[in-house]
Amino acid sequence: MLKRIAILGGGAAGTMVANRLAKRLYKELKSEQVEITLFSKDENHIYWPGYLFVAFNLDDPESFKKREKELLNPSVKLQTEEVNKIDLNNRTLVLKSGASYQYDYLVIATGSEYHYEEIQGYDSVVGFYDEIHALKMRETLNSFSGGKIVVNIARLPIRCPPAPAEGTLILDDILRNRGIRNNSEIIFTTPINMIIGIKEAHALLINEFEKRGIQFVPYFTVASVDPQNKVIESQEGDKIKYDLLIGVPPHSGAQVIKASEIGDRMGWVPTDKYTLQVKDHPEVYAIGDATDLPISKAGATADFESYIIVDNIISDLRGEKIKKTYDGSVMCFAAAGLGKATVFRFNYTIPPNPPTPLDTLWWVKLMYNKLYWDITARAIL
Amino acid sequence: MSSFKIYKRLDLTSSSCAGPIGELSGVMDEVNPGEAVEVIVADEATKKDIITWANRRRFKVVDQGQENGKFKLLVGK
Ligand SMILES: Cc1cc2nc3c(=O)[nH]c(=O)nc-3n(C[C@H](O)[C@H](O)[C@H](O)COP(=O)(O)OP(=O)(O)OC[C@H]3O[C@@H](n4cnc5c(N)ncnc54)[C@H](O)[C@@H]3O)c2cc1C
Repeated sequence: MLKRIAILGGGAAGTMVANRLAKRLYKELKSEQVEITLFSKDENHIYWPGYLFVAFNLDDPESFKKREKELLNPSVKLQTEEVNKIDLNNRTLVLKSGASYQYDYLVIATGSEYHYEEIQGYDSVVGFYDEIHALKMRETLNSFSGGKIVVNIARLPIRCPPAPAEGTLILDDILRNRGIRNNSEIIFTTPINMIIGIKEAHALLINEFEKRGIQFVPYFTVASVDPQNKVIESQEGDKIKYDLLIGVPPHSGAQVIKASEIGDRMGWVPTDKYTLQVKDHPEVYAIGDATDLPISKAGATADFESYIIVDNIISDLRGEKIKKTYDGSVMCFAAAGLGKATVFRFNYTIPPNPPTPLDTLWWVKLMYNKLYWDITARAIL
Repeated sequence: MSSFKIYKRLDLTSSSCAGPIGELSGVMDEVNPGEAVEVIVADEATKKDIITWANRRRFKVVDQGQENGKFKLLVGK
């Protein structure tokens, strides 16, 4: 009997799962025992880390967008349409057109969404978390001649928590290269007590901040931004005046998760940290940014998770009992300024031990921006 | 303590880029007044950090204890 595997989301996570499944289920797809359909509301697949490079005019948005169709294995069916509802009890997806799709297995890979509108005045920021704000940042920096720059993380969790520090360090180097660092101040503000929430990584980054004279302001949870008077105010009661505000917007899970009432109040999907199955629904998995797991919302997380989900769906299809479990593995190449990078590699039990920033790791990071499409999205490896 | 309804239980003993406070702060943003989050952390230093953070955000540390060498806190709104 035909088994239908639905993958919801055409970002890094959904695409990797689809392509890895298609490769492994080659025979079953050919003999029509299995069907794999990926649903995505966007025709384009976005490589989000690229906006860090766009904001600093190191690359262009076109380098970080490809049509999902070009990335998917031809045996995967692509349905470019928004899914309005996930009905877990009836194993059905309801599409915007009103059509529905019944699945035997579902992989939820709906990612994160941004909510600039949740904080008064926050849409006035520049940044490197999406194309619009990255292009605004590129333009603003182009004519910037010095002043007080505040980098703010609005709320956690966010995509790739090291990215705001990476952007701050690159900014510092760019201002130095342009000879305007001496008449600039850089202040990094975050709701928590560390630059990123892992002691070993924080130690490395705070050392880098101190060397460069970047001020670190912990316990700063933005309440509002006044773009006229250029003031950012925190829930803790602090106010900082700025000339340029670089913001990382509040994130939540996808709207469809909230509308289907299958997530928590922020729309993150309740997921088993080892099996990656969605609570009470063993035929449903969640992956990537969409989960409520307290790890890291990173493409690399999704990469590690994808192997577990693919193996477990296949073993279930074949009636095997052996299941794999996810060990919390994450790996991120993090820029430590222009031309240097380090790497954070850890799992549920082993904390990271990041090496001193090296130029070779910077080149690995740049190279990966290009290799992402083949190695990760097309899952060639 | 009994007046707080537990909204979520969080095991924050593993490494996470957002860190224990980052993960908890994200969840506290979704909590309604009268609700609390139960957290488990691996060490005393993290427990103290959470208490400092909770005081600054004017959340209430309703209860604290120790279980199997780990530290438990109940943080309410
Ligand atoms: C500046 C920056 C730097 C980063 N750096 C790194 C890094 O160095 N390393 C790293 O590993 N990660 C990094 N990341 C994080 C990484 O980009 C994300 O974690 C990753 O893209 C998550 O992929 P995803 O597929 O889970 O979610 P997404 O990319 O958000 O994809 C979700 C998909 O679901 C689709 N979708 C949502 N709702 C629906 C619906 N109702 N119907 C149909 N389709 C729907 C969307 O259209 C989209 O295609 C960075 C991110 C940023 C912003």
